[in-house]
Amino acid sequence: MMNANSIDTQELLDGLKAQSALAVDNLVHHYSRPLFGVILNYTKNPSDAEEILQDTLLKIVRKIDTFRAESDIWPWMKRIAVNNSIMWLRKHRTARQVETQMDDSLPQFSRDGELQYPVFGWSVDPEEVILNSELSGQLYEAIQSLPYEYRVPLVLRDIEGYSIKQISSLLALKEATTKTRIHRARLFVRNKLSNYLDGTP
Amino acid sequence: MKNDLMKCRDCVDLLLDYLDGNLDEKTQVDLDEHFSACPPCVNFLETYKSSSEVTTVLRDQEVEVPAAMEERLRSFLREQLSAAEPK
Repeated sequence: MMNANSIDTQELLDGLKAQSALAVDNLVHHYSRPLFGVILNYTKNPSDAEEILQDTLLKIVRKIDTFRAESDIWPWMKRIAVNNSIMWLRKHRTARQVETQMDDSLPQFSRDGELQYPVFGWSVDPEEVILNSELSGQLYEAIQSLPYEYRVPLVLRDIEGYSIKQISSLLALKEATTKTRIHRARLFVRNKLSNYLDGTP
Repeated sequence: MKNDLMKCRDCVDLLLDYLDGNLDEKTQVDLDEHFSACPPCVNFLETYKSSSEVTTVLRDQEVEVPAAMEERLRSFLREQLSAAEPK
């Protein structure tokens, strides 16, 4: 979690407004790690993420006068990182992953619409994932292997907690499309975790 | 006996709206009825819900930034700011 306790936010704000070199250094030192964490949910390529982080930090410094001092600075910074990540991906994403990769994770139904195989139940507590690095690695890999079109809505919804309406507006999608993509992304992640946890779909 | 009106396929399609509480009353009742008669769909719901919930662990995660990268970021910002200095 973000550790904002180690820095005096007001001092940082005043320093950034005055464009003090020390404040800029403090910004980099205290906020690079959490911002890097946010950005790496959108791209797993560290050099791409560094480029996005660089641009995010520059925007934070340049836009600091627009920040309302009565609110918390972390959500404001995070929003810049999220928007920057989305813009960057939109501009730079290259070959799309094939659609069949998503289809493989869809549940299989019989002709009359019943689930075709036994579904084993499992439930994982978020705390368990934090403590189990192999499991958190599986989760991270599952999200990262989603095609961009599915990964971004899922990250915005399930990680960042944006509403369907906010995501649709941010990504210029119809709400129904946003929902379908999030749903299919969840089915994909569920499938990967199921394979890991009990070796079955 | 499984509900004749609602099939597992319909049930899975409705999970997102179900968890968000966005279903109309009738669909909600039909779905609950289906769950009460269909253990595989209950398991599917549990695992779908759990998959969505565990994803929140990636929120506000700090990721190690190597010292060399931190230095590159500092240098970049200093350069950008000094270039923009003469107002």
